[in-house]
Amino acid sequence: METSSAALGYAPLRDPAGPVHDEHGPPEANRSSRVDAQFLGMLLFIISEVMLFGAFFTAYFFIRVVGGAEWPAQGTELPVAIAGVNTAILISSSFTMHWALESAKAENRAGMRVGLLLTLLLGATFLCIQINEYVHLDFGPASSAQGTIFYGLTGLHGAHVAVGLLLLLFATIRAFRGHFSPTEHRGVEVPGIYWHFVDVMWIVVFATIYIL
Amino acid sequence: MLNPLRSESDAFRFLVYVGVLVALIVGIVLLVRAL
Repeated sequence: METSSAALGYAPLRDPAGPVHDEHGPPEANRSSRVDAQFLGMLLFIISEVMLFGAFFTAYFFIRVVGGAEWPAQGTELPVAIAGVNTAILISSSFTMHWALESAKAENRAGMRVGLLLTLLLGATFLCIQINEYVHLDFGPASSAQGTIFYGLTGLHGAHVAVGLLLLLFATIRAFRGHFSPTEHRGVEVPGIYWHFVDVMWIVVFATIYIL
Repeated sequence: MLNPLRSESDAFRFLVYVGVLVALIVGIVLLVRAL
């Protein structure tokens, strides 16, 4: 019995007389941009993040500079010393992150694993201290405009730290499973760029909200 | 040229520069306020 595709009434998927390809899956996507796709993706992402934080900072400066509101609101106090220690913890996590990637490049697996684990722990400590700070503050987001923007800005940053911790967790698990090498370490490099961005944003948030 | 999106090393250097710059600005502002 004839069961060929021609006999069944449709064209064969591949011409048996045509060239034989070893590749599987869909054809490679056309790249019209001159910029590397991963670089472009990170660029657009960071730009959107800067605009998001910019919107919150605009609200902050509007309340404080244009509105002339007292900062922090009358009768409230910000725990500057605790936030300063927390800042030191977060900044030091960027140093351990950098160390982790340098270790990966130098084929130092133990250094990479310890570096990633330390970064994860320092980041988690930062988040825990910030949550503890929220619990003990004597004002809430609905108390005043200052309270709203304080929780808005620090909360937005805290959410970014949480996302960074998730990325770091994946990278750490992969590192302990034997992934990454001196030539292939994108899984550490991209979370590293994101983590440094989060730390840069915190430096600005800490300086404007707590100190100035 | 420093491009913090190109690599982790550049991003780390950018973080250090921002830290120094912000510390400098905060120091100047606090100094001016104290005068």
